[in-house]
Amino acid sequence: MAEVRLDCMGEACPVPLLKTQKKLKELNKGDVLIVEIDHSCAMKNVPEWARKEGYPVELEEVDEGEWEVIIELNK
Amino acid sequence: MDKIQNHPVYKVIFKNAWPYWVGGILLGLLNVCLFIVQGKPWGVTTTFVYWGTWIMDAVGIDPSGWDYFQIPNNAANQAKNFLTHSGSVMNIGIIVGALFAALAASQFKIKKIKSWKQVASALGGGLIMGYGARIAFGCNIGAFFSGIASLSLHGWLYAVFIFIGAWIGSKILVKFLM
Repeated sequence: MAEVRLDCMGEACPVPLLKTQKKLKELNKGDVLIVEIDHSCAMKNVPEWARKEGYPVELEEVDEGEWEVIIELNK
Repeated sequence: MDKIQNHPVYKVIFKNAWPYWVGGILLGLLNVCLFIVQGKPWGVTTTFVYWGTWIMDAVGIDPSGWDYFQIPNNAANQAKNFLTHSGSVMNIGIIVGALFAALAASQFKIKKIKSWKQVASALGGGLIMGYGARIAFGCNIGAFFSGIASLSLHGWLYAVFIFIGAWIGSKILVKFLM
């Protein structure tokens, strides 16, 4: 039940999505992945992809132009 | 009283990303308006040619003898400036408009540079794209978007090769930048 943070600050699309996909493969069921982004198109495509994969996703605006995508590995 | 940031209309218009189809319809309609007003559809990168020559002029190099500027229309554009050349006004409008959109959504942020690899690939990619856009006589706006809107075959040709280019580009991205 680990909580893993993935730093994608300053990365433009599609790098945050590719990094998220790579990181999720290393994690186990029950883990939570928090992706830190500051690129507005990543706040669309990262949650979209994770939801399509069937994971519960939350998006939080932590600061001006900064977001955290919280992905719960329920399977 | 509720803050304006929590108002649903503010959220739909300024805060949340518009759906792709809304953007598509607006771009199409605006391109029609532009065509009616200035007699040619939207383009972005041809303007950079003139920006380049204006900078050269400012440092004392005169490009007006070059073949490209012997074409009357190109010579006329080169004689204009940032405020009288319509393409320049539109490009500046894109930058200023994007700034206002980011500020209105309170999402403006000066981003830090991640690594020198990112800088090198951004500059290198920009140079290749700029060179390609000139060789193709247009970028994804002038050649692709406005080309297809004008029912010209070159827009569709551009579409086929941009897919091949994007496929190769993403392979390179995954291999070297991840």
